[in-house]
Amino acid sequence: MTEQIDQALEREYEAGFVSDIESETFAPGLDEDVIRRISAMKSEPDWMLEWRLKAFKTWQQMEEPEWAHVDYQKIDFQAISYYSAPKSMADKPKSLDEVDPELLATYEKLGIPLLEQQMLAGVAVDAVFDSVSVVTTFREKLWEAGVIFCPISEAVQEYPELVKKYLGSVVPQRDNYFAALNCAVFTDGSFVYIPKGTRCPMELSTYFRINEQNTGQFERTLIIADEGSHVSYLEGCTAPQRDENQLHAAVVELVALDDAEIKYSTVQNWYPGDENGKGGIYNFVTKRAVCHTNAKVSWTQVETGSAVTWKYPSCILRGDNSIGEFYSVALTRGMQQADTGTKMIHMGKNTRSTIISKGISAGRSNNSYRGLVRMGPRADGARNFTQCDSLLIGDQCGAHTFPYVETKNPTAIVEHEATTSKVSDDQMFLCQQRGLDAEKAVSMIVNGFCKEVFKELPMEFAVEAGKLLEISLEGSVG
Amino acid sequence: MSTWLANAVDRGGATNDWLSPKRQQSLELLQQSRWPTRKTEAWKYTSVNMLVDATFAETSDGIFDAPELIDNLDSIDLLLVDGVLRSDIGDLPSGLSIYSIADTPIEQREWAAEVFTGAKPSKHYFGLVNDVLATAGVLIDVAEGVKVDRPIRVICRQSNGCESHTRILMRLGSNAEAVIIEDFAGEVKSFNTGFSEYIVGESATLEHYRIAMNTGEAISIGGCHFNLNYRSALNSTVVGLGSSLSRLDIDVNHIGEYATAKLNAFYLLNGSETFDLHSSIEHIAANGTSEENVRGIVADSSRAVFNGRIHIHRNAQKTLAELNNRNLLLSRNAEIYTKPELEIYADDVRCAHGATIAEIDKEALYYLQSRGMSKAQAQIMLSFGFINELVDQMPNQNLAAWLRPHLRRRFAEMESTQ
Repeated sequence: MTEQIDQALEREYEAGFVSDIESETFAPGLDEDVIRRISAMKSEPDWMLEWRLKAFKTWQQMEEPEWAHVDYQKIDFQAISYYSAPKSMADKPKSLDEVDPELLATYEKLGIPLLEQQMLAGVAVDAVFDSVSVVTTFREKLWEAGVIFCPISEAVQEYPELVKKYLGSVVPQRDNYFAALNCAVFTDGSFVYIPKGTRCPMELSTYFRINEQNTGQFERTLIIADEGSHVSYLEGCTAPQRDENQLHAAVVELVALDDAEIKYSTVQNWYPGDENGKGGIYNFVTKRAVCHTNAKVSWTQVETGSAVTWKYPSCILRGDNSIGEFYSVALTRGMQQADTGTKMIHMGKNTRSTIISKGISAGRSNNSYRGLVRMGPRADGARNFTQCDSLLIGDQCGAHTFPYVETKNPTAIVEHEATTSKVSDDQMFLCQQRGLDAEKAVSMIVNGFCKEVFKELPMEFAVEAGKLLEISLEGSVG
Repeated sequence: MSTWLANAVDRGGATNDWLSPKRQQSLELLQQSRWPTRKTEAWKYTSVNMLVDATFAETSDGIFDAPELIDNLDSIDLLLVDGVLRSDIGDLPSGLSIYSIADTPIEQREWAAEVFTGAKPSKHYFGLVNDVLATAGVLIDVAEGVKVDRPIRVICRQSNGCESHTRILMRLGSNAEAVIIEDFAGEVKSFNTGFSEYIVGESATLEHYRIAMNTGEAISIGGCHFNLNYRSALNSTVVGLGSSLSRLDIDVNHIGEYATAKLNAFYLLNGSETFDLHSSIEHIAANGTSEENVRGIVADSSRAVFNGRIHIHRNAQKTLAELNNRNLLLSRNAEIYTKPELEIYADDVRCAHGATIAEIDKEALYYLQSRGMSKAQAQIMLSFGFINELVDQMPNQNLAAWLRPHLRRRFAEMESTQ
């Protein structure tokens, strides 16, 4: 069995190639000047620059958090380059034909044919390469429906009122150390606005790719679903295989106004580092949604990559009858460490939340669920159900659960359950006795273990997630 | 550091007895540790600010709540007032030795010194305070193979306005059996730390009770710590009422294989009381089992905090660990904070935890009212049923019989404040 685990650990990271693209990259280092330069590169208005500088001051006063159950070398924030853009971006392409072919080939390799397949799949894509958004497809079709889907740098120029009103409204600048850093140096990301009563005609999707060495990626996503609207958003991430650790500190803010619904799905497959824990992405992400009256936000994530993950997609259930959901599969192997979970803050009456978290640990990895369910004094009749299951594969890994439950309202009901188990010999025996080989049996058992989460993913993503999991688990159990 | 603590440390540093080397170690650790604030994870929900500038008398005025007799218990009673043993140690059954810590015979000191800091993790801030300041207390030794048939009841009382630090050290030899009741109670304004440490030998059985009934203005911080050796068994029950600040840490270390631990705890809070229970089960050796049931009823503007940790170490394969925390929240002003934790490093284990928080089932209430009960009666009956399951599980039913009227009285008080 150990041998087979080792085999699995040696599996190559498929997205680990480097694209040879000429790029313009800032020298490593962070000070006010760098922030001014980022802002200037983006030709940002003054209010945006001021906002960044304020965040930078805040960040300088903050301390790096240490409470997560992860162990990593301290980040040298002066050794990171805070801006990198493919050179050909200087004249921004007007259409796909003008995009650097090398860039398109990169996305092709990643399995994201920007055009053809999207036509068939009907998914609009915004692709972010290092620090800039390189291409956004289907803009016209979305425009007809009144949906705005563009790089956030463009939104700052063209829709300043919306950006001013909502940027930082969900995740305030001083929320946490990495969020503050992101506010100061974020380079690009996606901006989505769905007008009142509109159902977004297609699924929106962003692919993030870190390519340059020693760069950090600090993207910022802002999605606003106006009253009665509906949108489904997909996010995918990859990075080349490098020996150094790279930092990814993103902030995602979702605003679901009255009766709106946002479904946010992530397949995160950043480079996890090699079997000895060398290299890999530090994924320190802040994701949060505000739900107004009758609104619903649903987070679904499949986390298989990154050396260190520190991520808690949360919902603030501010409006009455609002709903928050969190479905997560986190798989760690090799030396990966994941500390992930959610926060459900119930403020309004009859708010409901569901948390389903599935953690799978293999190799010498550590996988933690950390969650908070808070029932405020006004949350009459609120309801939460939480289920965290962990599956251990091999005897060198760790699975941990740290749920915080805080209640200040007697009419609210909170239920939390957690279990830990391994793939049992009985299950394996039953499958093998019916003619499945060990590998298929494990894959089937793990897929069954994750089923509740996978069924929440949009179809294309569910297929991708299942495949990702299968490759990751290859040969890991005998 | 608080002025109270600086003062206390000065006093502790001056102590010169046979435990001084151990106290010195703890003193150094204490000086390296930070005074707990709401930013300290272990004190996230309970503030000890009231202790920062507190002053307490160091000597007793001799007035304390007299202990109650417990019918049919037939216990060996040891009365400690402000941490100092008051009762004479009379004739003891053979194989059982009891000493006051201050008068420990030289030949017993070696193991006693080991037990003194042997089971309690050094991260407990007030455990270190207790190490430094608990100069009196009791030492109980049960020889190999001895079954002590009478329960040992350690009655701890505080006198008004006084600060006290109590320590109980107990060793059970292999195949020994004993029942111990740590009886802390009193309504007077006082501050006490009460820590106890147990070494349970191979195949030995310990039945343990901690009655944590310091109420009113009492500030009570304590802990019970157990080292379980090969095939030993622990059955522990914690009964808590809240006070202006009550904190209890239970630590169980499965250091030998095949050890079993059963832990039941329940608390009833009223007024503006706080009860903060932390439990930590360390499965260090393989094939151990632990089962923990914690229930709380929280009324008026009281606050309950529970942190239940299960830690399965790399070598603790084949462990079976379960933890269940259920809470009844009876009032709009009451608060419950619960955090069941699992930290698992071995794969062939079965672990589960669950936590629920809710109010009394409205349908059950309606059902009883429709049978002619008043709402108040029905509520008492349902809350009592919620707790009684654990009272029924107490192995010593004489103690349970004594406890029930106390609980009933508490329920009536809780009802009247709603």
